[in-house]
Amino acid sequence: MKRWHPPRIARRISSRALPSRRMFLRGLAAGGAITVGLPLFEMLLNENGDAWADGEELPTRFGLWFFGNGVRLNSWLPSTQGADWQLPNDGELAPLLPLKDYVSVCSGLDVKTPRHPHHSGMSAVCSGGPHLKVDDVRDTIVSTMKYPSVDQVAADYFFDQHPTPYRSLEAAVTRFRGTDEGTTFQYLSHNGSLGGETNVNPSEESPQRFFDRLFGNETADPLIKQARASVLDAVGDQIVDLQPRLGARDRQRLEQHLDSIADLERRLGAPSPSCSRPDDPGTFPDASGDEQMAEKNAAMSDLMALALACDLTRSFSLMFSTCGSGAVMWPAGATNGQHYMNHTEPSPWTKQHESVKFTMGQLAYFLDRLKQTAEGASNLLEQCSILVCTEHTEGWNHAQDDMPILVCGKGGGRLRGNLHQRDDGGNVSKALLTALRGAGLPLTEFGHEQGAVSASMTELEV
Amino acid sequence: MGKVWRSLRPSVICLAAGLVAGWSGCVGAIGDKPPDPTITDPNATPETAPVETHMVRLTAPQVRNTYRALFGEPLVMPDLPQDDQLYGFTSLSAATKTIAPVEAERYEDATYAVLDQVWNDTTRRDALVGCPPSDLNARCVRDFVEDFTTRAWRRPATAAEIDALMDLANRIGASLTEPDQGLRFALAAVLQSPHFLFRVATGEPDADSGWLRFDSWEMAARLSYLITDGPPDAELREIAAADELLDPEEVRAQAQRLVDTPEARAALVRFFRDFMNIGRLDQLDKDLDLFPMVSETLGVSMRREIERLFENVVFEKEGDFRQLFTTRETYVNGDLAPIYGIEGIEGPDFVPVTLPDDGKRGGLLTTPGFLALNAHKTESSPTHRGRFVRISLLCQDVPPPPPGVDTTLPEPSGEPQTLRQRLAAHAEDAACAPCHKQMDPIGFGFENYDAVGAWRDTEHDLPIDAVSDLDGADFEGGVELGELVAELPRVGDCIARRFYQHATTHLDGLSERAYVDDLVERFVQSDFDFKALVVEMVVNGGFRYAVPAEEGS
Repeated sequence: MKRWHPPRIARRISSRALPSRRMFLRGLAAGGAITVGLPLFEMLLNENGDAWADGEELPTRFGLWFFGNGVRLNSWLPSTQGADWQLPNDGELAPLLPLKDYVSVCSGLDVKTPRHPHHSGMSAVCSGGPHLKVDDVRDTIVSTMKYPSVDQVAADYFFDQHPTPYRSLEAAVTRFRGTDEGTTFQYLSHNGSLGGETNVNPSEESPQRFFDRLFGNETADPLIKQARASVLDAVGDQIVDLQPRLGARDRQRLEQHLDSIADLERRLGAPSPSCSRPDDPGTFPDASGDEQMAEKNAAMSDLMALALACDLTRSFSLMFSTCGSGAVMWPAGATNGQHYMNHTEPSPWTKQHESVKFTMGQLAYFLDRLKQTAEGASNLLEQCSILVCTEHTEGWNHAQDDMPILVCGKGGGRLRGNLHQRDDGGNVSKALLTALRGAGLPLTEFGHEQGAVSASMTELEV
Repeated sequence: MGKVWRSLRPSVICLAAGLVAGWSGCVGAIGDKPPDPTITDPNATPETAPVETHMVRLTAPQVRNTYRALFGEPLVMPDLPQDDQLYGFTSLSAATKTIAPVEAERYEDATYAVLDQVWNDTTRRDALVGCPPSDLNARCVRDFVEDFTTRAWRRPATAAEIDALMDLANRIGASLTEPDQGLRFALAAVLQSPHFLFRVATGEPDADSGWLRFDSWEMAARLSYLITDGPPDAELREIAAADELLDPEEVRAQAQRLVDTPEARAALVRFFRDFMNIGRLDQLDKDLDLFPMVSETLGVSMRREIERLFENVVFEKEGDFRQLFTTRETYVNGDLAPIYGIEGIEGPDFVPVTLPDDGKRGGLLTTPGFLALNAHKTESSPTHRGRFVRISLLCQDVPPPPPGVDTTLPEPSGEPQTLRQRLAAHAEDAACAPCHKQMDPIGFGFENYDAVGAWRDTEHDLPIDAVSDLDGADFEGGVELGELVAELPRVGDCIARRFYQHATTHLDGLSERAYVDDLVERFVQSDFDFKALVVEMVVNGGFRYAVPAEEGS
């Protein structure tokens, strides 16, 4: 039973593969104990700081940044098309102005997969394919993503090219989660579902636990690491022995378990990540009943930027709020959950408008953090390609035409930035393809079923 | 009782069909499937057959209870991957989940965190093993590994499996030059195994039924995790080893024993928590300016009140489950007292209270927890409250609005309006009415309760109108609605059906109708005794038999 993969993407390297020789040599070249306080890369660059010491180009990273419930399209869209986009009156992208050189806007793109409120938009913008109803039950909509989300497509590619300690990292900011709509309303990163199994990469919701996971004390004793790896090897053997006794769906579920065990084992064989250990971010209790969204966003953004700088992973996802989120956007003056607010707020929809502006402010914090992180002679945002998306055009009518999408970062010189390209009636997968190409994935087509495309938003690319 | 009830009970099929025809397909029973074009007679009931075999991942409470059963107390519980809900139930989610990289990582951390607590205390370690594990070839050590693995995997480990584990122990013991460490790592391989983290049950061919039947060990695990959220205890293991759980009467006897344990109470409360979706109350989010009585612990207290009500009716009174909808006896603490308007109760401890017979409170549907959960941060929600009754208590289905529909309510005209008046737009709009008519009118009956479930006579100084109807039966207010709901045959059907889904960890299909109907009938015959429902569930054919899982390519 082979794990299913999207077309044209190299398969994950086999379960028992060792860390690449190249990575091992780099770890060795750095002298084993690397100076604490510097990202790994700093030690290994050429004199100009624009490439590895051996001449290979600096790595790119891919990111998926999601927020729920759509926008107010009139004030979201730039008033101009082409290079150097301009804001309309009170534009929702205003918080991104200082980072404009790194932000491009896609507009006019539609969801082409069969539509359903929230579910189809979420799967289309995150995976380029349709949502999958879990079990064949009449109208109650419980869904998962049928195909892997783009962060996992990129993770497969990067992990094959250059294994990092984590295949991918997932974090979330606001705490609202759906309970009866399926994984589509709970998580961002999905591995796809061949047989109706639910296969997600749960996002870390607590900055403190994310900190512990990334920067907690790991044992350094090679013999202990070897023992743990032997245990995982034995578990892998148990999985492989069990699989033939099971049906198709369960074999698929165990295939993911096997991949997960292989990831853990690989990490034990990789050189210990070395970078400065940040301060413990602490906890974020509600203040007077209000969720401390901005503070939590800052903590998660800081940790994610550092994880990227230290090359702990090359693919990540950040979920500011879920699809159909019920988070109360109180900093924007909201008093009830955003989903309900969207369906009840009368014209001129001030609170939803302010909510989107506030959300873009949170994105701006993260992008700025990447920009402030030096990498060689450049900065981390230069090396990133980040897809920013939401599941609806506007939440109140569940529209899925003219989807709000941004592509941020320069992808190591692959993306132009500061451009607004409009493609009326285009397939939304074109933006996903652009963002993946921007991160260096050698794709000429992307998407699944009605979401399949063979053209990107070419003007955004260099 | 059963006979009277039978005669009153409309055919499930006719009811669903009538609703579909009358209301544009808006309501049907959950589990009904769209017409299959290959079936010529749509009214033909498919042949009875049980569900396909499938693995179920242990939920976090189940992992904790299994650790506890293997190592005893004291045990500081490590962080575990979070449970999700599918169709409201963690049990259903556990039947579809994989193990993601981050979860494998957390299970590994948890495994060593638990093992270290035992290994760091050599007296405790030696007591667990039965001898100091200084010689891995000692008979005592191998016997321990065999016994431990059998308990952890809920079935006898094979000689080959024990050989592999002993080989692992020896290799690591030699590498670290500490035999006891070799054993510790071998146990880590037992606890990270798919045989530990998943409940694997593939069944054995059964000539009598023509299906697969779960063997005695598989039945022991199914029984025990369903009723206690933990692994089989010594008595169950002994009976499984004697292969006596193929006999439904033995299964019944064991279920009757288990259902009276404290573990069963906790496990069945967890079922009810999912059934009511009240786990969400722990993150209650209400406007503190509008509702100054909201404390940090209010949400948890709301949940506990509802769970105490369930425990009281099911385990203490052992009475008719439907009393939950009408009882004026409840439990109140300092958090809840201001919402009930009761003076003199303070602090976190619950006090039994009999509420006054003033028509304002009585039963589950007038608890602050139910009312606050199905409401917004600042205002009530007739739609959410009605939707809960329709979907969760009546097992009927209400679809979400179709794409492209304008779902905003008309702008306030400037004149003060009640929420009920604003929602009248739902009934007037052709796109909204078919579905909202299934929810809003039920919810109008709860309009005397605000967003935290406190009583109110007016909204914006306008009088509350709580007169409404449920499928043609008139009622006024939450108390009368509770009395009405308690008498609806569909409600008894629904809780039994939900428990069937929870126990068999999937949504019942049409081919299981006979199993579900049988369970419902026995629940009715027991005068709606929930403990009897649990016992009848484990002897039900749908629980003891399966068909082979689809092979796939």
